[in-house]
Amino acid sequence: MHLLNRYKWPALIGIAPALIIYLLFAIVPIILSFYYSVMDWDGFTEMKFVGLANFKEALHDPVFWGALKNNLLVVAASVFGQVPLALFFALLINRKLKFGKVFRTLGFMPVVISTVIISLVWGMMYNSRRGLFNQLLEGIGLGDWAQNWLGDPKWAMFSVCVTIIWQFIGLYLIIFLAALQNIPEEIYEAAKIDGASGLKRTLYITLPMMRNTIMVAVILCISGSLRTFDLIYVMTTGGPGHTTEVLAMYMFDQTFSSTRYGYGSTLSLFIFFFSLALVYLSTLILRKRGD
Amino acid sequence: MAHVMVGKQKNIELQKESGKGRRFSKKALIYLLLVVYGLVNAYPMIWMFLNSFKSNIDFAKNPFGFPVQWMFDNYKTAWETAKLGTYFFNSVIVSVAAVAVTIFAGAIASYFLARFAFKWGKMVYAFFVFGMLIPIHATLVPMFLLMKSLGLLNTHIGLVLPYIAFNLPITIFILVSFMKSFPRDIEESAIMDGCGVFRIFFSIILPMTRPALATVIILNFINNWNEFSFALVLINDDSLKTLPLGLANFAGQFTTNYGAQMAGLTMAVIPVIIIYLLLEDHLVKGMTAGAVKG
Repeated sequence: MHLLNRYKWPALIGIAPALIIYLLFAIVPIILSFYYSVMDWDGFTEMKFVGLANFKEALHDPVFWGALKNNLLVVAASVFGQVPLALFFALLINRKLKFGKVFRTLGFMPVVISTVIISLVWGMMYNSRRGLFNQLLEGIGLGDWAQNWLGDPKWAMFSVCVTIIWQFIGLYLIIFLAALQNIPEEIYEAAKIDGASGLKRTLYITLPMMRNTIMVAVILCISGSLRTFDLIYVMTTGGPGHTTEVLAMYMFDQTFSSTRYGYGSTLSLFIFFFSLALVYLSTLILRKRGD
Repeated sequence: MAHVMVGKQKNIELQKESGKGRRFSKKALIYLLLVVYGLVNAYPMIWMFLNSFKSNIDFAKNPFGFPVQWMFDNYKTAWETAKLGTYFFNSVIVSVAAVAVTIFAGAIASYFLARFAFKWGKMVYAFFVFGMLIPIHATLVPMFLLMKSLGLLNTHIGLVLPYIAFNLPITIFILVSFMKSFPRDIEESAIMDGCGVFRIFFSIILPMTRPALATVIILNFINNWNEFSFALVLINDDSLKTLPLGLANFAGQFTTNYGAQMAGLTMAVIPVIIIYLLLEDHLVKGMTAGAVKG
């Protein structure tokens, strides 16, 4: 716009507060972690420059690799659990049912509730003695199947993943519902006249038209599930014996329980670049398939 | 599980061709599936709610049904001995303060980014939006050290600042895309009339942005209300803890008193559920905004 150069100063003043807070408390911390990542520091004694020793240590640390594997497991469980289930229920709710909106409301509810509350409630549901699941199994005569869901290394990761899947199906459900409602009705009418059955309409019209949305959901799902921390912290703190350790949990542990700020910062950087790389990669792959 | 579901759907669709009787049963099947889905979503909260009124013995004997005797004392115990009142108060202060600053700073920045075509405007906008990709856990350690050196550990301000910083990206993203949709000539005529840019913002643009502001306010509030990791790292003093942090703590101490524990969780979740039920559309719009535009 022609008038704009006159408003350079007001614009600077207007953008400055947001920009300064954002720079100082979102960007500077990441820059700081580069600095601390090459140091050895317990928070009290003097900081020591150690070069890339922390990075080397991480790459030789079996717990680090275990945590990375669990992170990928959560990503896989989310992508293959949340997205298909959400799509399925979105297709059902989209059939202009009488109480469709009620199911939408119920479906999205877990997304709104604090992860801490969800983790505590599910933690009690998994409780080995009085938990909902074991009592339910006993109630239907399958008491032998009762497990120490979160305490048994064999089951802990599985149980955690079930809760994670449960928590976020609703997010993708809503995204899919919005996309479904954008598909023009006429297309279906035309297909009906041509004799396409309901299943065929879903497979050949709905799903192809949803492809972009599904892609976005998958990317969102990957970046979202990489952020898993609160849930693990509250439910298992990474245990038993590191079986549910994820990167953020391990980083927290190393930093605040073992007071190794340098190593913790190195792990932070790994999380940062790992997330960006995975999101970038998935965008690339999905975009390629789209061409 | 997904496989089974797809299979079921095929059955549903195949039945369609044959007659009205089948159509009825198909509809019943869809409703059945949806009711199961709804129950699976709601049951953990219902279970928590019902058990929050039970004594320990009642809970052990009768885990699924209604309480034999409604124990309102659990709520008193949770509120008083667990200091839930303090946590509640802290959560309100921190959330409201962070929302107020985020919305104000975010709205005015969005106005200039959306309505003025500066050379660096697009870059600044992209820089803000990049923030949506930053995994906040990658910043926990440096944030702790930063706040420590600023002397802001164990203060509400020290918690509010990162809340603002990490909510600005989505706030600006939503507000900019909304403000861009207004016709161009709105402020042109105002400028002709000699109106200053800030006055245009306050008296024309801001009122027009009201629907998007509502969405952003609710989204921000819920995000801050539920936030846990920054609080965990930055707050240590029990009297300053927010609700999620206090609850995690309280659950550790009260492992033997299930009723009080669930009463505490119920009290913490009720405001969120009420806000959600009243303002569902805004909240849904806010939480899915990042996805709609990709």
